[in-house]
Amino acid sequence: MAPQSISYLLPDGLDLDGLRHQLAESNSLREEALSKAGQTFFDSFDWRVWQAGGELVQERDEINRICWVDRRSGEYLECELSDAIPGFSGELPAGPLRERLTPVLEMRALLPLVTITQQRRTLRVLDDEEKTVVRVVLQENRFTSIDGKLSGELEGRVLLKPLKGYDDHFEALHAQLEKLQLIPAERTLYEDALAGIGRKPGDYSPKLNYMLDPDARADATAKKIMLSLLDTLEANVDGTKANLDSEFLHDLRVATRRTRSAMTQIKSVFDPRELAPFKDGFGWLGKVTGPTRDMDVYLLQFPEYRASLPAPIQADLDPFHDFLVKHHEEAQKTLVKKINSPHFRKLMKSWRAWLNQPLPKKPKAPNALRPIAELSDQRIRKLYLKVIKDGEAIKPDSKPELLHNLRKDCKKLRYMMEFFQSLYPKPEIRSLIKEMKTLLDNLGEFQDLQVQAESLETFGKQMMKEGAPASALMAMGILVGKLLERQARAREEFAGLFEAFSSTPNRQAFQKLFYGSL
Amino acid sequence: MHIIGVYNIKGGVGKTATAVNLAYLAAKQGYRTLIWDLDPQAAATFYFRIKPKVKGGSKKLVAGKIDLDEVVKATDFENLDMLPADFSYRNMDLRLEDAKKPTKQLLKLLRPLSQAYDYVFLDCPPSISLVSENIFRAAEGLLLPLIPTTLSLRTYQQLLDFLEGHRITGLELMPFFSMVDRRKRMHLDVMRELPDEREELLKAQIPYASDVEKMGIHRMPVEAFAPHSFAASAYQALWMDVQKRLGK
Repeated sequence: MAPQSISYLLPDGLDLDGLRHQLAESNSLREEALSKAGQTFFDSFDWRVWQAGGELVQERDEINRICWVDRRSGEYLECELSDAIPGFSGELPAGPLRERLTPVLEMRALLPLVTITQQRRTLRVLDDEEKTVVRVVLQENRFTSIDGKLSGELEGRVLLKPLKGYDDHFEALHAQLEKLQLIPAERTLYEDALAGIGRKPGDYSPKLNYMLDPDARADATAKKIMLSLLDTLEANVDGTKANLDSEFLHDLRVATRRTRSAMTQIKSVFDPRELAPFKDGFGWLGKVTGPTRDMDVYLLQFPEYRASLPAPIQADLDPFHDFLVKHHEEAQKTLVKKINSPHFRKLMKSWRAWLNQPLPKKPKAPNALRPIAELSDQRIRKLYLKVIKDGEAIKPDSKPELLHNLRKDCKKLRYMMEFFQSLYPKPEIRSLIKEMKTLLDNLGEFQDLQVQAESLETFGKQMMKEGAPASALMAMGILVGKLLERQARAREEFAGLFEAFSSTPNRQAFQKLFYGSL
Repeated sequence: MHIIGVYNIKGGVGKTATAVNLAYLAAKQGYRTLIWDLDPQAAATFYFRIKPKVKGGSKKLVAGKIDLDEVVKATDFENLDMLPADFSYRNMDLRLEDAKKPTKQLLKLLRPLSQAYDYVFLDCPPSISLVSENIFRAAEGLLLPLIPTTLSLRTYQQLLDFLEGHRITGLELMPFFSMVDRRKRMHLDVMRELPDEREELLKAQIPYASDVEKMGIHRMPVEAFAPHSFAASAYQALWMDVQKRLGK
């Protein structure tokens, strides 16, 4: 395999000039003119590029380009010449970079994170034809935050860059630099720059991953979970207001829903009178964020809707897209008002204050002092039995409401298993959560498709009033038919999926995990 | 990957200088570029200070026994790599005859590089041979430097006849005037008359200039040592014409 660039830090007692001097003694060197370059790094809010093993950088040099760099090897895997600031992957020109980014980012937008300005002195090592065979780049780096408020020097680096076809020369220089005790950098320059602005790759994730102490007080543990959910919720407020992409609002809503579930399902650990105003508050938040999310969902699904229609009438659906965009805008405006309202600010502030309050020494709530592992076992057991009972009661001709109710119970159960997963052996709990998710996806599909079909009919009526052409309504009619067909399929699949979920091995697994404290 | 051949039946028409300078300009724009010096005289290889040696020579290379990628050398310029010439290339015709599809073997060899490069320039040896037929079949566009003399117009016609006779279609022909000496009456006459007959002729012209000759002293593309020269801007204009013609 061809060698990769190596980034080094200098040992104590050797600076960039000293290194240059050392290298000149045993190599034929030529120094290029000093050059300056700027790099801005991008990722989605939830670090998808990083999670996928990459760094996305826009370089401003003689040419401007956006590149996906492999973060382990430093290799530039895909580049696209572009001056434009990247946002959604679909906005990039068609090509390999877009192909790589699209499945990674999905609906998420790229956001600028940090900028590095680099002063480079490039030393070219020459052979007897005076051909360059290796490059050694002495870099002085500065980081700057995107708002320009934070900036500073980063440690100088030495980049050893191979030239294709000159591996032997590279190895010789490599050996020489190691002998001079240069230290291969463990972190990439990007990570250094992020550290400079107080960030770390992966420092935001909407996933639940708490490390809980099984013997801790139940009320303390509940607060810990709720505080973390509040952090997630608040982290998404600015992005939701600015509508940077649809997932800020989505994550905010999920955190809201989980908070509500934690309040009701981690039962009897707090004084219900204290909790009541917050239950109301988060109920309100769920409600006021709903309309915008609905529009987001239809907009995200639109390409799929359109593609599901026969080709000649696909374009007929476009007025529906215009309708969605318009109503999304209105819903977003209303949402921003609600988030900017004193009511929302007060809710966040008072909730955090309450969560940070010291716990009472002698709480009245009956479960407050119980070890969390015991309460978790008990609650999950109860919810699980309810799911099994309700699921078994569902027959092929049962009303849709029964499935909707089952979905709610399943969600509660899933949240509880996710909150408390660190209390159980990892592979087992993960596998049960996965089983739960399969069933929930089916129930979700069944309900969502019904809601979508109903909403489309309502939207159609509204569009008619707003003067949409008849062809659009016809296309929507066909679409409703398709959605209902899919819903019927989901309904048919339910029985088999539920049977799998409630199968003997799964029951045994549930028993093994959650009946420990019986 | 766009493959561009630079070719003329006649030698000494500024072919290698064209391949070297255009490849350099493509790379400078950020395109990942490869130049393949197919001429055993190895002039392009010399301009990039690379040793004219390919491990295994044309025998192994043409037989597909070594990956092209293994014998590629980086030039001194970002984004610009070279497949150097080798003296054994003088026998490339014989080697090609051994291949299953002798006229399409070069294209087959280049295919694995399609993800790695945006542009490939083929600096072709003069004369009509199996190597040149391979190039005509591999390339999307063929740059044809023409010295504005009646004799070189004749060789252009010979090429057109060859292409027609071998049913090579879909190749974008891009003749242009090279080594233009505006002091010569004949050059001026030919340049006045030809464009009416040949609409495929590119507008840009490369002058007969000492800066082009100096490439041999500096051993680098004109733009790298004389960026503001007349010759450098002529190559820039030519490169723009080529990109336009290829729809980039």
